[in-house]
Amino acid sequence: MIEIKNITQAYGRNKVLDDVSFAIHDSAVTALIGANGAGKSTLLGVITRLIPYISGEVYIDEHEIKSMKTKEVAKKVAILKQTHHLGVRVAVQDLVEFGRFPHCGGRLMDIDRQKVEESISFMDLDNIRDRYIDELSGGQRQRAFIAMILAQDTPYIFLDEPLNNLDIRYSVEMMKIVRSLVQDLHKTVIVVLHDINFAAAYADYVVTMQDGKIVSHGKVDEIITKNKLDGIFDYDFNIIEHQGRKVCLYFDSNEKDSLA
Amino acid sequence: MVSNHNVRRSGSKKMCALLFCALLIAIALSVLLYIYSRTYAKANRIGLQLTKNAFNSIMYRTLPHLLGMSVSAIIIAVVSLSFQTITGSRLLVPSMIGFDSVFVFAQTVIVFILGAESKLFVNPYVNYSITAGAMIAISMCMYGMVLRKRRNNIVFLLMLGIILSGILRSSASYLQVIMDANSYNQVRAATAVTVNNMNVGSIYLVAPIMLVVVAIVICRHRTYDVLSLGVANAKNLGVAYEREVNFNLFLIAIGMSVSTALIGSLTFLGLLAVNIAREIFKTHKHLIIFIGSSLVAVFALIFGQAVTELLQGAVPLTVIIDFIGCAYMFYLILKVNKKS
Ligand SMILES: Nc1ncnc2c1ncn2[C@@H]1O[C@H](COP(=O)(O)OP(=O)(O)O)[C@@H](O)[C@H]1O
Ligand SMILES: [Mg+2]
Repeated sequence: MIEIKNITQAYGRNKVLDDVSFAIHDSAVTALIGANGAGKSTLLGVITRLIPYISGEVYIDEHEIKSMKTKEVAKKVAILKQTHHLGVRVAVQDLVEFGRFPHCGGRLMDIDRQKVEESISFMDLDNIRDRYIDELSGGQRQRAFIAMILAQDTPYIFLDEPLNNLDIRYSVEMMKIVRSLVQDLHKTVIVVLHDINFAAAYADYVVTMQDGKIVSHGKVDEIITKNKLDGIFDYDFNIIEHQGRKVCLYFDSNEKDSLA
Repeated sequence: MVSNHNVRRSGSKKMCALLFCALLIAIALSVLLYIYSRTYAKANRIGLQLTKNAFNSIMYRTLPHLLGMSVSAIIIAVVSLSFQTITGSRLLVPSMIGFDSVFVFAQTVIVFILGAESKLFVNPYVNYSITAGAMIAISMCMYGMVLRKRRNNIVFLLMLGIILSGILRSSASYLQVIMDANSYNQVRAATAVTVNNMNVGSIYLVAPIMLVVVAIVICRHRTYDVLSLGVANAKNLGVAYEREVNFNLFLIAIGMSVSTALIGSLTFLGLLAVNIAREIFKTHKHLIIFIGSSLVAVFALIFGQAVTELLQGAVPLTVIIDFIGCAYMFYLILKVNKKS
């Protein structure tokens, strides 16, 4: 279990995380939603030790991350950043093999090769394993990066806006993969989403953030309500039910008419 | 599918081995050419018969030169590649941002404060320790600061380097002007090292240091592979990024200080060697590029020096390398800009 206690982080005077505390539910998909600049990426960065924090504690399976070795943290948590820039030209398989680095230090053993193969086939990358990352479509690239994280074989996976640059089909596919990570591989996934409908459809829990604070945290149905969302996004939402699922309409239904 | 993949991989391994062999042969030939240029070509020119004794005595002086050039070329290549990896730029090498002026400055200050007769200056061991120490301190402070905060700002780094080397250079020349003639000559002798005017006396001191640095860097090639994926990926994969960068700057400062002390500054050799090796080997694996760029650097240095000797020094080697290096850098800048 990952527990965050009183985390505060600031850039200069600008408090980006303000006394944030919560616990992440194991073996579930938790969606993190909030407006741009709410501090979502920073929060993920802090938990995965990419970004230092001023005060507070992050516990991974009861160990405070500052007391853990970097390698040990990398065996527990993996993160897919919002923008993943690679400094080098590598093929898909090479990238996935990098995922084993925390375990084998780059010297692949049989177990590592096996994990790499599993990740590649799980993400359906078999036929493009020799292609260079920079020659792939956005969706393929995203899948390649997720395969790397899978090869890293961590119980906790953080995905920062994984639907960026993906069309509807790939977005749905990506969220299905996220679900299967939890269902088939029993991972704990925290995913930053902008499209609330994806959160409503695929997440078990939702955490909402605003101005560096956590506003609400709970089961999907409790959070995806007009009352709560309006405040967080400062927007007049229109939530309807369709086949038992909640769907947010972002636009004013009268807009078109009033324009015409 | 898997077998197909393995075919591709072993194929590329064979290719690498072939390329290494080709480079080794090229190096061997250029060594022969260098020896020829210093023996038969010279004898012919002066119209002297080359006796066995004369040949031996020339060889006796040539071998340390060859050793010095090889070790320096290797360390410059290795250090340049590691610097490129931690800065995330293919256009930067450490010598571009003023390591050589730190060297000149340190030498000048030692003599200025302690005098040319001072043990600290005359004793090569002490001298190197101090110079290397100064270079390590300055580069760690400066580049550590810059690299941590503005990793991707290459222009900023270059500018800082240019300003720093300007300041250090002019303070050094100021000190040289106001010091006495004897000290001045000593400083000039110590700092005017070039490939032609190698500081051969110190080679048996610096060669082992260089080899140790090279060995350390190459042994960590897997960490460099991960570092080249960028800060976030490296951290995600459990690399203690800050510590790695600091340790690297430390190694780079040692490498640059000893190579500058031995054969002077070769600004563009590292840039050329590393990028040519990248082009030839087309891989992200640092082990291969470390070895490849070292071989390219050794070849370029020895071959260039042989040609220079054949041309009787009409064009100094540093000029050739800087010229080609500049042109190549220009090409790289254009290429990088086109991509982004
Ligand atoms: N490296 C940085 N330096 C200064 N301010 C930053 C930095 N990174 C993020 N911020 C600020 O922190 C706030 C939260 O950013 P972020 O966590 O990326 O938000 P989100 O991911 O929710 O859109 C923003 O106001 C942003 O401007
Ligand atoms: Mg973000």
